[in-house]
Amino acid sequence: MRRIARPNRLLPALAAMLLLGACQDDKRPLFPADAAGGLREGADPDRGRRLIAERGCTACHTVPGVSGPPSRVGPPLGNMARQAYVAGLLPNTPENLVRWLMDPPAVNPRTAMPGTGLQQADAEDIAAYLVRRADRKARAP
Amino acid sequence: MKRWKRTAAVTLVAAAATAGAVGGAVVYFGAYDVTATSPHTTPVHHLLDVALTRAVKMRSADIVAPELDTAERIQNGSRLYRAHCAQCHGGPGVAPQPYALGLNPAPAALVATARMRTAAEIFWVTRQGIKMTGMPAWQYRLTDDEIWDVVAFLRVLPGLSADDYRRGEDDQPPATPLEKVQPAARVGDARAGRDALQQYLCVTCHAIPGVPGAWNYVGPALDQMGDRPYIAGVLPNTPANMERWLRNPTDVKTGTAMPDLGVSEQDAKDIAAFLRTLTEGP
Repeated sequence: MRRIARPNRLLPALAAMLLLGACQDDKRPLFPADAAGGLREGADPDRGRRLIAERGCTACHTVPGVSGPPSRVGPPLGNMARQAYVAGLLPNTPENLVRWLMDPPAVNPRTAMPGTGLQQADAEDIAAYLVRRADRKARAP
Repeated sequence: MKRWKRTAAVTLVAAAATAGAVGGAVVYFGAYDVTATSPHTTPVHHLLDVALTRAVKMRSADIVAPELDTAERIQNGSRLYRAHCAQCHGGPGVAPQPYALGLNPAPAALVATARMRTAAEIFWVTRQGIKMTGMPAWQYRLTDDEIWDVVAFLRVLPGLSADDYRRGEDDQPPATPLEKVQPAARVGDARAGRDALQQYLCVTCHAIPGVPGAWNYVGPALDQMGDRPYIAGVLPNTPANMERWLRNPTDVKTGTAMPDLGVSEQDAKDIAAFLRTLTEGP
């Protein structure tokens, strides 16, 4: 099914990107992805990427840009900036993403994701990476 | 040279006449499928999306938004949203009314809209409406100021959890329960499930490979759902659990932003069967 869908999408998507790219303006959406703030100034996405590898996030999640075996235990994390909710429960703001990363069972006691033991600064760096990563490849709406 | 020109002219005229005749025949013999249960093909869907996005962008370019971040505006917008918008667009943890589930094109989940479009664009769409989509023009029902109130509320909507949204519902009457009681008549059928996805507006929140219009990121993307071990991070991914989740997400996971959509047992079986086909394989 995917094989058929891809080429079908390619041409109009390309046309759309060209068209939108040509007249890109800097107007902000009504609710920009970073609307509620929450990351400290200088949260370091590169350190976040290293932490994702070191802490073994890739044992369960596929994270673009971080090598590891493809794993489907948890959802793939390439789309976090576009995602409207974190874990289907919290509105996806940087603040909530950090809250989830630091202690998933506190947000949802039944979640399959274990406690991570991440400190605030670590969680913010990881959040910065996840959000930036998806930003880069997000399709224009 | 003359001969070349005449050949070209004759060819063009013949091509135009043929195209016109074929087009006319399609229209006259009723060949075009106008049913709401048959989605547009992917290229047509994309083309219409781009046409809509561009039209809205161009026509709303000169609109200047007033101050939106005032408590009064947001509160009034919340009241208006619940009275006039939630019936078709739903809200966090709240499904649209049954009649809205059958609309084609599907009414957008406005959480996604607020994350993608500017204040001016949303104001313009709300005020003018969109032809042939079911989106009415509100300019004859609401004042411009009231429409801006709705826009102001949409600005905070993506930041509300399902609980937050419900708490704001002060004295609104409770939503009509969506109940379907017919038992399932057969085993799940993936093809029927693919059609059913449109009728429960799954496409307005999820990205689903091979389903036109399903490229939204309000809920998680459902690619390779057949390979994933968990549903919603809480249930092992078995067919029975998937049916349970599809029919009663709020029972399975308290506080989830995914609403109960009144999915029948049969439709849940079919949709679950379709989701099982989404695997990494070819």
